[in-house]
Amino acid sequence: MTNRYIVDTTLRDGEQSPGMAFSIREKITIAKALDTLGVARIEAGTPAMGREECRAFEKIKLSCKQAKIIGWNRMNRSDISQSIGCGADIIHVCVPASDLLIREKLRTTRSQVLKTLSACAAAVHSEKRELTIGLEDASRADWNFVVLLIETAQHLGATTLRFSDTVGIMSPSLCKATINRIPDNIDIEVHMHNDLGMAVANSIQGLRCGAKYADTTLFGIGERAGNCNLEHLLIATQGQLDFGINLDELQWRQADLKSIIYKNNLASA
Amino acid sequence: MVTIIDRTLTTFNTSGMTSQDLNHFCDLLFTCGVTKIELTPELVDRLNFPVTAAGLKQWLGQRRFFLTRIFPESLASAGPGTKEPKALWKLEPNELVEKNIPVGKLHSCHHQKIRITGLEDLMTRDYSEVFKALLDSGIDTLDLCPGNHHHCATAIALEWLLAGGQSISCGFANHHNFPPLEEVLMGLKLSQPDLFTGDLSVLSELRDLYEKLSGQPVGKMKAIIGTDIFKVESGIHVDGVLKNPNTYEPFSPQSVGNQREIVLGKHSGRQSLLYKLNDSQLSESAAHSILKHLKSHCTQLGRNLSDRELRTLAREVQNDKQIYC
Repeated sequence: MTNRYIVDTTLRDGEQSPGMAFSIREKITIAKALDTLGVARIEAGTPAMGREECRAFEKIKLSCKQAKIIGWNRMNRSDISQSIGCGADIIHVCVPASDLLIREKLRTTRSQVLKTLSACAAAVHSEKRELTIGLEDASRADWNFVVLLIETAQHLGATTLRFSDTVGIMSPSLCKATINRIPDNIDIEVHMHNDLGMAVANSIQGLRCGAKYADTTLFGIGERAGNCNLEHLLIATQGQLDFGINLDELQWRQADLKSIIYKNNLASA
Repeated sequence: MVTIIDRTLTTFNTSGMTSQDLNHFCDLLFTCGVTKIELTPELVDRLNFPVTAAGLKQWLGQRRFFLTRIFPESLASAGPGTKEPKALWKLEPNELVEKNIPVGKLHSCHHQKIRITGLEDLMTRDYSEVFKALLDSGIDTLDLCPGNHHHCATAIALEWLLAGGQSISCGFANHHNFPPLEEVLMGLKLSQPDLFTGDLSVLSELRDLYEKLSGQPVGKMKAIIGTDIFKVESGIHVDGVLKNPNTYEPFSPQSVGNQREIVLGKHSGRQSLLYKLNDSQLSESAAHSILKHLKSHCTQLGRNLSDRELRTLAREVQNDKQIYC
């Protein structure tokens, strides 16, 4: 079996699902369970959200024994310094890759994006932290700019490149073709959303094409129709890919966490 | 155009359903792009067909049927100003033989009408080779109905059609582990917008009727048809969606009969607050204070705040009173 690794984002992208809100204690309980299960990396939150988030982040960092803890950041030095201050092992910088996001959301230009990214990378390296870079909305981005961003990420010393299908529109064949085009001198992480019900299939194709990491959440929670569901990914890849996570253990631990995750909204599960 | 078969009704307990609901369900399925609806004889009996007509009951027997829709040519070719021709329903026997066979044994099935089931694990194999073998097998009519136990049936269905497959069988809302119809239809609409002719804006109505007929609630986050998939809370996404909805929406809410809703919760930012309170004069410090209390309440409650709760909260924070929620 081929070894691959899970980056769990239940506490970041998952919690962004409308109505989801975890207390500090709940976040720690979830993180500990993920750590015990063998999840390689836990995206514990966005420290820039405020003091409560920072406190949760610091406690998660102290509670987890094996998993590396990721702090998620906008392409912004102030966000990054918050993550560094909270003790994150990995500083993840999210870079809008599509012209739609660059133009309509950031109201900036490609060249400015590259410039800001360089400044952010310098801030991460000055504190001797591991840098990973995420290409937001990469599936709708111009391929030439994606290539430029990949080259820049390598040049800036990022260890991992996250390829995000932010609005979940990829098909398995497109995913296969795209991931195959990324040079193999940087670790690849696939971040698939489930808008068309294909997050598991797309993650599998990404992993089969050489991605080392797949992003998942417990119960598949996340924006809109959610993210790649960890349990479903394990079911679909049994005997083919080894994530170092036992499916039975995941299922009973996840069942234990259900009341925390859904609280008084169990009908949504 | 490819054939999309819906199998949802074949697995329902239809005893408590009214003929009116059944007919409406079929109407909505056709509207959203289904080509054929698979039916049991019992169901045919309850649709608006003259089942008492001589010979029809005998013809029905125990066979399964497909319900199809035809547009009468005489009406379709009528002059300008005449009303759109009303589609008629037609029954045809379902002659597909259902097989769950290994791909390597397909050569023994030449010149038949076959529905291949199973194939759950196809995404972890070289599926394009498998599709090629199926398409080269010489089978007359080849329909695919992949199982969804591995949560990949939609992907298998769409890749099959992309590879040249001409027929796919589905079920609404992941019914009976068939490929979810609504996902397959949206996948087709997005990948072949010029060829797709269905109207997916009826999907919300179809979901409501499905819940009524099946007694099964559809998950609020269910892809395409979940009631909550267009709720936006996080500050980053609200900011993007208010500037241009395309930033974080793969298709418009209206295109599936839904609506966008900005909701307030733990991840809300100042933008959402100003939008919800419709108060551009709100000071920086007041917004900060309201947001702080809002986030704390939402974490405690584990849910969003309603508009009314927000207005109460804002009023009380601004009046520096004790907060209740």
